[in-house]
Amino acid sequence: MLILSRKINESIIIDGRIVVKIVRVDGEIVKVGIEAPSDVPVHRQEVYDEIQRANKEALTRAGQPLPKLQPCKNSAKVLQPN
Amino acid sequence: MNSELLIGEAAKDSAEHTDIHLPFGLLGFERIKNYSLIPAPRAAPFSWLQMAGDPSLAFLVISPDEVLPTYFPEISEEDVDYLDLTNPDDAGILNIVTLHPGGSATVNLKGPIVYNRNTLIGKQVVLLNATEYALKYSLPLAP
Repeated sequence: MLILSRKINESIIIDGRIVVKIVRVDGEIVKVGIEAPSDVPVHRQEVYDEIQRANKEALTRAGQPLPKLQPCKNSAKVLQPN
Repeated sequence: MNSELLIGEAAKDSAEHTDIHLPFGLLGFERIKNYSLIPAPRAAPFSWLQMAGDPSLAFLVISPDEVLPTYFPEISEEDVDYLDLTNPDDAGILNIVTLHPGGSATVNLKGPIVYNRNTLIGKQVVLLNATEYALKYSLPLAP
């Protein structure tokens, strides 16, 4: 891993198009500003990781029997299997 | 009456396919960008989001309206621009359902798939108010 020292308001440029700027340091919290083109998704890693895990768990294979679920549209929100 | 439903049957029984393009894929499935959205005819209001390249694989999805009427997803300005959403009615929202061993089911409310109903281009977004919602919100089952 490349490790660089930066002061507040200093930046790092990645691939000539992604700018990562140290905006503020407050104790253990570092505020980082990121400028990236719209084709570059940016996520907090822990959020990315948990959604990725949830997606992998949700993937279903054809042929697998599934329960027939039927969520209610009313406020009771009860699922009634048929 | 068989209470089981197979993905293959869903595809066969339904003429309503909507092809949705996800240029970023889903998180963890970044390379898979083309999906077909197919209503599950015998398990309404669920739908299948089937991988175009491998129709044997699919995600079970549901509209949040069917799950949580008080769901107000906040989508970042960047995502709104990217998806070219000019009014709220343009946005289709799908939440991914996980079926757990033992028969329980949960739905991901933190990271919905948002797509533009006109362009059929979508993205799995992390909501600005994601902390208000569960990653595994239980779909209550009748006893």
